[in-house]
Amino acid sequence: MSDSDGTGADVFRGIRVADFAWVGVGPNATMQMAFHGAEVIRVESSHRPDTFRSGGPRPQGDGSLDASAYFAKFNRGKRSVAINLAHPRGAEVAKRLVATADIVTESFAPGFMQRIGLNYDAVRAIKPDVIMCSMSMEGQTGPHAGYRGFGLTLQATAGITGVTGWPDRPPVGTGVAYTDWVATHVGIIGILAALDHRRRTGEGQYIDLSQFEASTLVLDAGVIDAANTSRVQGPLGNRDLQYAPHGVYPCADDHTGGDRWIAIAVTDDDQWRRLALLMDRQDWLESEALCDASGRLEQQDDLDAGLARWTSEQTVAEVENLLQAVGIPAHRASTVRDAHDDPQLGHRNHWWQSKHPVIGAMSYESPAWRLSETPPPMPRRSPLLGEDSEYVYRELCGYSESEFQQLIIDGVVE
Amino acid sequence: MGGSRNLIGMTAALSPYRAIDLTAEIGGLATMVLAGLGVDVIRVEPPHGHPSRRRGPMLRDDGESSLYWAQMNAGKRSIVLDLDDETDRESLRRLCETADFLFESDAPGAMAVRGLGYDDLRERAPQLIYVSITPFGQSGPKSRWAASDLIGHVSGGLSSLVGDPDRAPLRPSVEQAYNITALNAGSAAMIALHARHTSGSGQHVDVSMQAAMANTLGNARLYYEMDGIITQRAGGARAFADRATRIIYPSADGYVAFVRVPASMLRLHRWMSADGADPQFDAEWWSSIAIAGDKLPSEAEIRELESEIEAFFAARGSQDLYESGQHHGVMICPVNTMQDIVDSPQLAAREFFQQVDDPALGRLTVPGAPLKMSATPWQSRPAPTLGQHTEEILAATAKNGDADHV
Repeated sequence: MSDSDGTGADVFRGIRVADFAWVGVGPNATMQMAFHGAEVIRVESSHRPDTFRSGGPRPQGDGSLDASAYFAKFNRGKRSVAINLAHPRGAEVAKRLVATADIVTESFAPGFMQRIGLNYDAVRAIKPDVIMCSMSMEGQTGPHAGYRGFGLTLQATAGITGVTGWPDRPPVGTGVAYTDWVATHVGIIGILAALDHRRRTGEGQYIDLSQFEASTLVLDAGVIDAANTSRVQGPLGNRDLQYAPHGVYPCADDHTGGDRWIAIAVTDDDQWRRLALLMDRQDWLESEALCDASGRLEQQDDLDAGLARWTSEQTVAEVENLLQAVGIPAHRASTVRDAHDDPQLGHRNHWWQSKHPVIGAMSYESPAWRLSETPPPMPRRSPLLGEDSEYVYRELCGYSESEFQQLIIDGVVE
Repeated sequence: MGGSRNLIGMTAALSPYRAIDLTAEIGGLATMVLAGLGVDVIRVEPPHGHPSRRRGPMLRDDGESSLYWAQMNAGKRSIVLDLDDETDRESLRRLCETADFLFESDAPGAMAVRGLGYDDLRERAPQLIYVSITPFGQSGPKSRWAASDLIGHVSGGLSSLVGDPDRAPLRPSVEQAYNITALNAGSAAMIALHARHTSGSGQHVDVSMQAAMANTLGNARLYYEMDGIITQRAGGARAFADRATRIIYPSADGYVAFVRVPASMLRLHRWMSADGADPQFDAEWWSSIAIAGDKLPSEAEIRELESEIEAFFAARGSQDLYESGQHHGVMICPVNTMQDIVDSPQLAAREFFQQVDDPALGRLTVPGAPLKMSATPWQSRPAPTLGQHTEEILAATAKNGDADHV
């Protein structure tokens, strides 16, 4: 990567985002634009704070809305304005803000923006070329438009949970708000495509993003298969439809405080021969049936048992080194500590340091990509709730000092 | 770059742009999404066809009617070029002069060996956004490691949060690590496109699957950094630092996902009462109980509550629970199978599924727009047959050396 000359901060310079979205999907999408110079303004309220502001982790004993590292993770580089949208004058302030915005994002339950007079038609009347993106669970229309959920449950609707588990047990799902990290990228791509269209044509538009629909993209051919044949793919444990052996195998205790596992994926016949050689398994090498994937798929119970015996006698680092040295896909099943300390992620400077007056020094994720010519500068820390209220009310919305003070007294700025 | 392709009456958002797609399975979804948004995606295939043409599931039992190919290459054009042959490599370089994006997923350095690396192309095609998608990135101690979807998944840490505690860490049985990585590549490519508006030139984009997966860890890595807690997989539950909250419950015909959040407890009580059950749990008290923090119920109290909920759910079907629970404002979702997704009344009402006439497979029902854009709608188009567009693409580049498309 070449050194930054600062141009990474100019990519979206002059673009303002009025960000009414909350929790994971919307804020993660707009944060990527904030990294590159967009002015992203989170519209927040202490009456209805972003759920992540109440989440953890947080410094011991600090229950304040500014202490959540989870909120910080999704909101670096942004500003925050406090607008109580439930207050009759809150919507008026929001409209003034929207009038200055290029992009409006929101993830309320469908109908809420209409109730406060800020649905797309209303927003467009204020700012004709605006790009507005709604990111709800299941979209703005249809019988389930009002259905509620979040990433932990939506992944079940979206089919991820159903293919995550062992064939002989109930499905388990991913244990994280998995769909957040899918839908957010569909949102980024869509918003930036609309912004590009506007640059060329001057035309804004409305984007109705259904997290359900977006998330089905990760299901490979599962949905198209069910739609055109009588097959329905279920969970396979760690096995694969085309490769064997393919699994996650136990390793010896390496005294790091937990169980250790190695993932091994034999994806071609050469890798298979190298594996058998490495394990000194003459019987596997000499077996004609095992020469190709179809034969190995038929005998994967035996192969898995043999592999597990071999891996369990060594530490995960030893097996990983042995296998990678001969080009067999293998990697420890990294724990969160392994991921934090991973030398490759360290080489990429993946975890970006950020210092926050309440949370203190923490590192947070960076994008999964590196840009050779326009790398972003280190983002500003995530904002305190309402930290930029005066700037937004006075400079963007055009309220006088006395009007601003009155709005504070009236309970709009909270 | 050139004119726009107007296929359904309205111009798609990215119709002026062209992408060259050289990726393996790790990248196919990036260009598929761009194709749906109107990019002219040209899939470069070797003479014997891209390997994923031979990959199941198949529509027919013939080994060559791949639905995987149909899904991941929808809307792309196909050109056959033998990249082991210098004449064809030169054709590719010429094609790059007309393109906005190139997506590739070879091992770091492999493209350069063939004179097709970023540095080889930047002088001839300074506008080109060159996107490299690899398991670990272009440099660093693991950049040469052998990998697959499973390896990408475990290397980011997510598998440590997935699966039953008494068995191995799990991966979802779809190549979600590949697909999330490809979507990251799509986001990165779009940022680089906007950067080009200001800088006037393309650049090299280096996307890492490990990094993409590391970004899915929720708050678990943060808990390690702040409190030293190593969150562990907890079966069908949300592992929340050192505690777990159950998510998966059996229904009469499958499973549902339900999380005991305080906001749902009064509604759950009302729903169960309205539906003929006689809930014994104290809804007021459970509404005041957080799922993490200081004020926590005992294991026995949780067990008692869950057995009541279990009995209620087990007597009803998943889709019924979804409809009636949501009607009462309870955040409950069915654990949908692929078939349930195909049969979803919500997706039907939104016309998610589309019919396309695939040149090889005939009429297919395909998943449609992953997002609805009012002015520049998504385009559902079939995947190409091998080399379907070779002649027209080569003729157009020969005729029009500098810029225009098609």
